[in-house]
Amino acid sequence: MSTKKTGNLLWRLLRKNISAGQIAGYALANLIGLAIVLSAVRFYGDVRSAFESDDSFVRKDYLVISKQVSALKTIGMGGETTFSPREVSRIEDQPWVRNVGAFTAADFNVYMSVELGGRGMSTYMFFESIPDNFLDISPEDWKFNPDTPEVPIIMSKDYLTLYNFGFAASRNMPQLSETVMARVPLTVTLSGNGQKMSLPGRIVGFSSRLNTLAVPEQFMEWANARFSDPANRPDPSRLIVEVNTPGDPAINKFMRKYGYEIAGDKADNSRANYFLTLVTAIVIAIGAIISVLAFFILMLSIFLLLQKNRQKLHDLMLLGYSPSQAARPYYTLVIAVNVCVLVISFIIMEIAAVWWAPRLADIGIVNGSPWPAVATGFAIMIVVTLANLLTIRRLVRRNF
Amino acid sequence: MERINTITLETALPAVFLGAENDEPVCNSEVWMRRLDIRRPGQYLIIAESGTGKSSLCSFIYGSRHDYHGTIRFNDTDISKLSVRDWCEVRRRHISLLPQEMRLFPELTAMENILIKNRLTDHYTQREIMDLLARVEIDHKADQRAGLLSIGQQQRVAIVRALCQPFDFIILDEPVSHLDTRNNGIVAQLVSEVAARHDAAIIATSVGNHLRLDSPQTIHL
Repeated sequence: MSTKKTGNLLWRLLRKNISAGQIAGYALANLIGLAIVLSAVRFYGDVRSAFESDDSFVRKDYLVISKQVSALKTIGMGGETTFSPREVSRIEDQPWVRNVGAFTAADFNVYMSVELGGRGMSTYMFFESIPDNFLDISPEDWKFNPDTPEVPIIMSKDYLTLYNFGFAASRNMPQLSETVMARVPLTVTLSGNGQKMSLPGRIVGFSSRLNTLAVPEQFMEWANARFSDPANRPDPSRLIVEVNTPGDPAINKFMRKYGYEIAGDKADNSRANYFLTLVTAIVIAIGAIISVLAFFILMLSIFLLLQKNRQKLHDLMLLGYSPSQAARPYYTLVIAVNVCVLVISFIIMEIAAVWWAPRLADIGIVNGSPWPAVATGFAIMIVVTLANLLTIRRLVRRNF
Repeated sequence: MERINTITLETALPAVFLGAENDEPVCNSEVWMRRLDIRRPGQYLIIAESGTGKSSLCSFIYGSRHDYHGTIRFNDTDISKLSVRDWCEVRRRHISLLPQEMRLFPELTAMENILIKNRLTDHYTQREIMDLLARVEIDHKADQRAGLLSIGQQQRVAIVRALCQPFDFIILDEPVSHLDTRNNGIVAQLVSEVAARHDAAIIATSVGNHLRLDSPQTIHL
């Protein structure tokens, strides 16, 4: 006698009293809940990818902070604008801080000249350096060798924009692209501490995170040792802070309290990200609540079903059926319903993602990976199904 | 689990009789509050009046009720120590029960009612089951829904179902209460034959219509 046929026997016996309405109600409710959760996770993943790409407009995991310059400082009457080691460690102790790096300023004079289209141009300049891991770009030539000295420089994108659209346009100067800029040979003249030296220099990259002219730390150490008085090294006046909860209101509160300023509008971007995280969390919570309620509908339905079929289950076990054998039709039912719900949830999620993809593409966001959402779906369904099966097992065993 | 050779009752008493140990029916019982060994092979006829705990006894031995005091043992094992898994094994391989109410599923046919047991034990082919049904003269009812059969026919279907497994003991709770003398004889003959093949014991209860076994040991409950 085939297993299939006897399996059908058991099913025919136990399907009685199964309420199609209750099962459909559960499936629909769970479908809605799960589809909301999965779509939210997927959406978060997609939009989040914009926050995680280095150059993105919403990037704001890094804040550059400085002190407000007071009127007293301007007229030379106190009001330090540098960060003392104690202040730095206080910032490091904040819960939202992952990492703090100091801008090291050049304590020497920098004079930079450039030949552009036959016209020479020269100006006083400044350099700063930060630890490499805070850079948003990693150019190939980002190193300094004292034996064959050439100064690689990362320039703020803002400066190039300022030159192209502010200065060059009004002075009839050629506008420059990043590529051209990188090919222009520079001469960097360093002086201080009674010494003077000229070195070739080159722009190796443009940063949207740093509003400065950055040079490698190796170079800065080398040059500071040579052209400045080591006894007179100032504290850093700007810090770069990597934060782990961008947009956390505590950040702004802290900055206000100590009179620090955040460079650019990065704090606003932080707030956008914080808001996104918050909204996503709320949507996921709503979906989760619906799913949990659906879960209880199913539990209740199963409970009633097993109650109504109690005698039959008992009789089957009198024949020698084990509780799990007797419960197998219900296991199959629950697994089938849950698998259907999961598959349809994925389809709904995919439809939603296809809907928002071009809309996000319009503002420069490419779709992220669907896998976190898929994994979430499987994880939720495995947990729900296991809980269902264990309950059934427990209830059936009670009739033994 | 090894084969069960002896079922032992030691000062067993249904919970409902607690406090009435010296009253009827307990004081005159050869089962309750006594020591009783039921050995295989053998034939036992448990004669009881209504309300003396006959079906309770069957349920206690079969593990479907536990509301008793005292000890019941399979060989040397106290059955209150058996797990659910052990009981499943007992019910498939060691003890077969025909409940008084038969417990057929009315929506399934006679044959399906038997197959739902036989699929667990894989004891007979469908052909052999048909032969057994023919022995008790209800093979023509094989495809009839059990709910539509007469009580006497249901009783014979349930007996065939009880035979669809290996067993050391077969407990028949009033197996012939709705059968005429001729069918009583046919059933007794069939059960005795199968039990002999398994080297097993038959325990039949009766409130009046005794299963016509050859030489049963009679026990008054």
